[in-house]
Formats: sequence, structure tokens, C-alpha cells
Amino acid sequence: MQIRAYSRQVRLLLGILGSYLLSGCAPVILVSTDFPQPLVEPLPVRMGLLLGEELLAYEYREQIPQQATYTIQIGNANASMMNRLFQPMFASVEPVDDLPLAQVDSSRIDGVLSPELDRYEFDVPIGQNDEFVEVWMQYLLRLYEPNGELITEWPISGYGKAELRNTGNRISAISRATVLAMREVGAVIATGFAEQPEVEYWLQER
Amino acid sequence: MTPRTYLLALISLSILCGCGVTSRLEPYKQTNAVLDEDDRIVILPRRHHASHETEVGFVDCVSNGLAQGSEGLGVYISTAFEDRLYPWFEPSTAPLSIDDFSELMENPDIHEQVRLSKVRFIIWLDGSTDRVAAGGGISCAAGVAGAGCMGLAWWEDDARYDATIWDVRDLSSAGTIYADYNGRSVMPALIVPIPLIARPQAQACRGLTDQLKQFLTTPEGYEPGPELSAN
Repeated sequence: MQIRAYSRQVRLLLGILGSYLLSGCAPVILVSTDFPQPLVEPLPVRMGLLLGEELLAYEYREQIPQQATYTIQIGNANASMMNRLFQPMFASVEPVDDLPLAQVDSSRIDGVLSPELDRYEFDVPIGQNDEFVEVWMQYLLRLYEPNGELITEWPISGYGKAELRNTGNRISAISRATVLAMREVGAVIATGFAEQPEVEYWLQER
Repeated sequence: MTPRTYLLALISLSILCGCGVTSRLEPYKQTNAVLDEDDRIVILPRRHHASHETEVGFVDCVSNGLAQGSEGLGVYISTAFEDRLYPWFEPSTAPLSIDDFSELMENPDIHEQVRLSKVRFIIWLDGSTDRVAAGGGISCAAGVAGAGCMGLAWWEDDARYDATIWDVRDLSSAGTIYADYNGRSVMPALIVPIPLIARPQAQACRGLTDQLKQFLTTPEGYEPGPELSAN
């Protein structure tokens, strides 16, 4: 009787240990931060913002040899960044659900922006001498007429690097490097959007 | 060998290998500008290099060192400053020269935000601590009678940093401080490995912090020039 009780306890302990090890081997990283609003002069246009489901639920998964399968959830951070980034950039910004816009919306919106996270790459050190986690991201920012006609598609890259020895562990370093890469993307958009040739032309026509 | 012999051997070994830190500080001040009572400073790392990046821990160490103590200075948190002026102090957009910064300050919104932050001096930290050499080796073995290690390992770290100080009010470069701390660590192993670790980065932080405090608070009598010491 006593042996059976011990065996049950051992099995329970092994189960807990097993699930702990499994979860440790497949880290899930939720990237989340408060992005600052850009300090820029607003452009005199009323913009619609179309955030697709793919962007809002973006999840990147990759198996790193000799390490683990990393799952990086960037959807919440995408929503936070895009909402805070575009608000100060234009005279007004309002969310839209679909394109082309309905007639009633077209009268008060000059154009629609639709960002997409096109590529996400990261590098986690394997050797003990490597000190940095690196993240590279590429977004595609599309500008549409209210009738759905594509005006321009602009690829924007961002790079982020985070120290492994100071952030303590790989998970927080990946998260931090991702945030830095996203901030970089935001900086490029905020400072360079109006200078894109097609956007410049479109703005002149307003 | 008796424990006393071991001890003597260890001491003589550490003396022989010259474990320790050598330092070189070169401050250069171009103006007599000093911090006023309400003024603040901000320490920002240079992050535009692909090859190296000033460590977050080093920036925090210098910032804390300047803020602490009875004569602590008003230090604006670097991340808060970068957020306040986003996106103008990100790696790709941060001004690389005082001329770039002057141009940035022509934007009334940016000028106003900098004024509201009360930051008088921006201190750019550039550099890093790198392992420049390593050698030796330690072998360990275990048997029925016991376990132990034998050998000698050593490594050399170089902490090299530049602090460039910009005067926000005068839109001019106030000066630079160059710090180079080289530290050699050794780990002799006579049964048990005994690490004798030099910490050049920590010493560079202390040295640079002391120099910066003097730089920012002493209008005259601050004598620029190289300082070379070994400890």
C-alpha cells in the first residue's frame, strides 16, 4: 500500500518535472511595451488606419538548433505601436475595417494606411562568448485611396540588439531587441513618410 | 605541500603575474560652462555602430554614480529622454554632431521638449569593454581519492570609453573625456581554482563618473590633461 502511494507521488513529481522542462524548452515571448508618440508636425490629411487580423495576432515561431522552439507574439505590440505612431502624424486618424470605404466614410477620409509585418528574424547566441540577441523586422506600409486603389507600398526595416548578460535571460533579451527594432521602424515611418516620392505627390494633390 | 606553502605559492603567483588594472583618463574641456542648480544632465549611449554598443549596465552605472551622493547631480533617465523626444534620438536618427543637434533644435517642438526637460548637458557615451587576450589552462580530474584542479588561466579585458559632452543651452561641444582601463585577471588552480578577477569596467565607471562630476561642476581650475596610473 505504502509502495503504491510512493509510486503515485513519484509519477506526479515526474509529471510536474516533465511539463516544467517542456515549457522551459518552448518559451513563449509576449512582446509588450508602451511605445512613445512621435514628436512630429502632423500632415494636413485625414487618414484611415486599417490594422489587419494578421498584424494584430502576429506570432512568429522558430526552432533554434541546440536550444528550443521560440514563439514570439508581436500582435499586441503591433497594435500599440501603430495606434500611437500614426495619431500625431496626421490631422486625424480613425480606424477602418475594410477597403474600399463606404461613401459616407470616403467624404471624411483622404487615404487609408495599412501596415503589414512582412518579415521577422532573430538570432540568439549559442556560444557563451556571444553577447547580443539581434532582431530584424520588415514592415510593409501601404497607402490606399478611399476607393481601395493602391498609391504606394513602402518596405521599412528595423534592427534591434539587446545584451544578454544584462537583461539576464534570452526571453527578455528577445523581447527588448524586438521592441528596439519596432521603435526603429516607427522612427523611419515618422521621419520619412512624407518624403516618399509617391506620398509627396499624393500630398501635393490634396 | 602544507597549506602554508600553498598560500605562499598563490600569493607569489598573483604578484608575479601582475594581476590588476591600469588606467588612462584624458579629459578635455573647451568651455567654462557648469551646471546651474536646476539643470539636469542626460547620459545617452551611442548605438549606431554595427560592431559594438555601449553596455546598458555601464550607462546605468555612470548615471547612478552621478546622481548619488551628497553632491549628486540631476540626472534625467536616458530612456525617458529618448521617449520624450522620440523619434529623434533613436540609433538611426540621433544627431551625430553638435551641428546636427543645432539643426534639430531649430524645430520649435523639439526645442520646447528639451527646454521642459531642463537638460543642460547631453553626455554621449561611446565604447565598450572587450576581451583582448586570454591564455593558459586549467585541468581538473576526479578519482576515488578525491578531485582537484591544476594550472593557470588568465585573461585581459579592455574597457575603453569616450564621453562627449554637449552644452544644450549654448549649442556647443563642451568637451570630451577619454577613459581606457585595462585589467588582467588570473585564476591559479592548486586543487581548488582561485579566481583573482580585475574589473576594469567597474573601475572605468568610477573613474569616468568622478571626472564627469568635476567637469560639470568646476568652471575653473579644471586642468585637462592625460592621467596615467596603475593600481
